[in-house]
Amino acid sequence: MASYMNQAEVDPTQLLKGVLDLAVLAVLAESDSYGYDVLRRLRENGLDHVGDASVYGTLRRLYQAGALNSYVVPSDEGPHRKYYGLNSRGRKALDQSAQTWVSLSKALNHLLNGRSNGHGK
Amino acid sequence: MASNDQADDVATYAGSVRAALSDLPPDQADVLLEDLEDHLREVATDAGGSLAERLGPAEQYAQELRTAYGVAHADATRQHPLLRDVTVAISRVTTSSWYRQVRAFLPELRPGWWVLRAYLLVLVLTRAFSPSTNLHPIPNPFSSRGLLEIVAAAIAIVLSIRLGRADRPLAKGGRVLAIGANVMIALIAVPVLAGMGTFPSFAMEESGGSGQQEVGQPLTMANGALSNIYPYSKDGTPLTDVLLYDQDGRPVTLAQTVPDPMTDYPFAADGKPITNAYPLHQQHLSGAPVTAPRVALPPWPAQSPIVTPMPSPSPSATR
Repeated sequence: MASYMNQAEVDPTQLLKGVLDLAVLAVLAESDSYGYDVLRRLRENGLDHVGDASVYGTLRRLYQAGALNSYVVPSDEGPHRKYYGLNSRGRKALDQSAQTWVSLSKALNHLLNGRSNGHGK
Repeated sequence: MASNDQADDVATYAGSVRAALSDLPPDQADVLLEDLEDHLREVATDAGGSLAERLGPAEQYAQELRTAYGVAHADATRQHPLLRDVTVAISRVTTSSWYRQVRAFLPELRPGWWVLRAYLLVLVLTRAFSPSTNLHPIPNPFSSRGLLEIVAAAIAIVLSIRLGRADRPLAKGGRVLAIGANVMIALIAVPVLAGMGTFPSFAMEESGGSGQQEVGQPLTMANGALSNIYPYSKDGTPLTDVLLYDQDGRPVTLAQTVPDPMTDYPFAADGKPITNAYPLHQQHLSGAPVTAPRVALPPWPAQSPIVTPMPSPSPSATR
């Protein structure tokens, strides 16, 4: 148990990997966004360990899977920005993943609380 | 200027990332890396420091992309391992320097192909218009047909070269058509070239096609096609209707030189032609029968003892 906890602590990116899709979908559900901005917003929300390439790769994969639509916004100074937004498929994926997450986190919280309670008693 | 450095930095970093992902199938790499440069430019403009400092080594970035994109890996493993190996091998070949050199050299061979395709076209047309003629790599200029072939080839070569030199700006449809025509000539030429110098043996297939035996490879000799076999008895009497079989018991049949001479096969009681009775009864197109060649029979020893390979002991020796 202790070693498992250590592993999770040493490598939060492993934990993050599973939920990055959900996080990215959630950010895009707020508003359409481009890669670097998605990263910024994730970090603002406390997901400090998210890597730039992870976000970029995830966006490309979700787009390729048909969950996102995209459009290019030209800019006078600086590069063109490719904005991504949820389409109906993406919203559905978000809803389903969110449900899975809620039940999963509930179960995990329950487990963790039980453990800490057990230790406390 | 700083922006120039930045552009260099982006180009270098993106180049390294692309190189690290060069094993991906090209279409997947295209989809994944479509706006890598734009994205990196965005990162670079946002804050100071080189991309490598901010994002880590390009190889690591590429690895992270790979993991996040996931599909690339999933697809690669879903592929048959052999197919994946082949894909990797192909991409390795196509990115090698010698491949690029060969690619760069190929266009220089174009004029050669222009000449060759004209020659092949004439060959194919000759075969199409007179299927029974024996084609030669270089037609005999002293026969009217050969001369015609040579003149036709010369004209075709001139036209082909003019066409080749002129076809630079072609519309897309025209280009496809042109490539298709070239490939067509090359493909049709293959069987014509393969049959060059030998006559098609369709006469055999017609006569032997009733399934009475498999039609084996026609018998040929090093110095040309064998058209008939004349058996003689030991005392020099010409034999007729000698049935020949090979080591597997299959009838020995000959490639027939059509249309001249024509062979009349005798028919068996069951109505099937007997194709291995020698000598074959043949006649020229003119109707004159093919006469047996003059042969020099070997002189046999005077008496005809029963030849035994081992010298038998003489009666005196045993006594």
